[in-house]
Amino acid sequence: MQNLQSAQASGKVPDVVQVGWAYMNYFADNFKYLTPTDAQSKFDSSKTFISKNFTTRTLSFAKDSNGKLVGLPYSLSTPILYYNKTMLDKYGIKASSLSTWEGVSAAAKKIKEASGNYGLYIQEPADTWAQQALQLSNGAKIKKNGKAVFASAAGVKAYQFYQDMVVKDKTALHTPWAQGVDDFVNGKVAIAYTTVAQASHIKQSANFDVEAITSPHFKGHKATVPVGGSMLAITAQSTEKQKAAWTFEKYLYKNSSLVTWSKGTGYLPPTQSALSSKAFKSYLSENPMLKPAASQIKTAVSWTSFPKNGLQAEQAMIDARDKILSGSNVQETLKSTQEKINEQQK
Amino acid sequence: MNNRNKKNKVLTIAYLFPTALILLVFIIAPIIYTFYLSFFNWNLIAPTKDFVGLENYLSIFTDPVNRKIILNTVFYILLLLVLNFLVPYFISIIVKFFISKMQTAYKIIFFIPSLFSLVVGAMLFSWIMNPVSGPVAFFMRNLGLTLPNWTNSGAMAVVVICLITNWKVFGYNFVLLLTGLGSVPQNIIDATKMDSIPKWRMIWDIVFPLNKSIAFYVLILTIVQGLQYVFTPISVITQGGPYYGSSNALYHTYLNAFVLYKTGNASALAIVTFVIFLVLLYLEIKFVEGRTSRYE
Repeated sequence: MQNLQSAQASGKVPDVVQVGWAYMNYFADNFKYLTPTDAQSKFDSSKTFISKNFTTRTLSFAKDSNGKLVGLPYSLSTPILYYNKTMLDKYGIKASSLSTWEGVSAAAKKIKEASGNYGLYIQEPADTWAQQALQLSNGAKIKKNGKAVFASAAGVKAYQFYQDMVVKDKTALHTPWAQGVDDFVNGKVAIAYTTVAQASHIKQSANFDVEAITSPHFKGHKATVPVGGSMLAITAQSTEKQKAAWTFEKYLYKNSSLVTWSKGTGYLPPTQSALSSKAFKSYLSENPMLKPAASQIKTAVSWTSFPKNGLQAEQAMIDARDKILSGSNVQETLKSTQEKINEQQK
Repeated sequence: MNNRNKKNKVLTIAYLFPTALILLVFIIAPIIYTFYLSFFNWNLIAPTKDFVGLENYLSIFTDPVNRKIILNTVFYILLLLVLNFLVPYFISIIVKFFISKMQTAYKIIFFIPSLFSLVVGAMLFSWIMNPVSGPVAFFMRNLGLTLPNWTNSGAMAVVVICLITNWKVFGYNFVLLLTGLGSVPQNIIDATKMDSIPKWRMIWDIVFPLNKSIAFYVLILTIVQGLQYVFTPISVITQGGPYYGSSNALYHTYLNAFVLYKTGNASALAIVTFVIFLVLLYLEIKFVEGRTSRYE
């Protein structure tokens, strides 16, 4: 996204761009693009490419705040819970107990007491994707009617739970992403909550039995995860180039192209036919850690993206996470962050 | 005579022109444009720029995050002055005047890290210093100690980042200073030996003043690098975190300009940094040149 912005500033824009979900509204507001719906009606005779290949839910990921389809979903990911099976077995913890965050916390406590190792690491990259999943799975909403609402009672409770594990109990680790994943594959953290895109790295680097299950939820709530990954949007300006871009996209959405892309990047393919294709199924059976991620796509929601000052909104949420994990008051921090973001939406 | 003078002038201008042009296009024009942008709110691509007057500058001094960043910058520079200037100077004096063997070997050993890219260095150190599963933590645990989780503390993260730049810069500064010490005339040093003047007096009263120009150069380099070289490890390891605790003026300018696209705030911060450094350099030049002229 940042590269695209610089390219635009220097007057050179590519014809097809890959845009991360968190930047979708920002992209829609600041760039000129051709919607897939328009491209289809302009260049195709059959007009069924989009509806045939994508489910309504998948398409909803790529709709902006006005409900307009901005691009086509290209790579998808969801956060999953990886666990060090060797370690869990050693301390008699059953994987089935990890289906709730309360269960994860109890397991983390047990591991901390028995071995001194950390129980849990939740990814901390330059976005708050995983933390949003935590809040969503406690029944909280991140955005409602274009306004940030994550400082609700349920949202605060989820973050408080997370802060307690990090700050009070010291059963969860707070560290930058690369180091956190290193700590997991080196056997110093029992459970890691991070994107499915890390699966092949984790599988290759861990020298213990590692498995993955779907995202946990808080008791009494459903597990809800925001989808990660990206969409493809057409930024070509001349009709000729737009046509070429659309043809190129259709080539990229062939099953064989999508499965190759998926193998190379660790993301999941966006179309139903690719997900159920033979090539992808055999890939899944070789990499069983991808299965929980694929099953979550059916229930995933779109990644919160704020229409105005979206980049600053994301940064504000990162700042809030930093503050909370350093011990500042959860309620106050979330509330002031929410106000700051809503102030910028005006 | 007059004709010749004229010709000289034309030649002077012709010779200086290429350099002047490069300076103008790549240094002076961008500075002027940055100065212009610092009065606007703009995201690099919007067709209109909102004029906001001095608001961007005011925010530098009122916004707590910006204040934190300016303090961090000062902390970085002080720490780097010790690590990258005082320590190499001290060691180069020891190597030059107190150790007679293996001078070349020291030069080579200390110089090797400066050939590596800082990105590689930063990634390497982020692994070595990993407080939970890195080798340093492992050895410390065997000795009954624990490595604190330095990425969660601004001050500790700054220290580690400085050590990483130190790893890279130390050898280069050391070789420069050692070469400077080598150019102190041997006959003066021999004369102090004949008069049995203590070594520390010889160093303090003769070597230091004579080596001032090289030392000054390294000092300036350290200050300027203090801003630039720490950028890479910040960007690779902490991204300025925890909550801007390890960010400095340059990284924050980058974050504002090319991550958040607040070019106005970024430009204002860049201009303030520029002015501070201009003043700093002016003071140093004035101070040091005033001193050296006594000996030359």
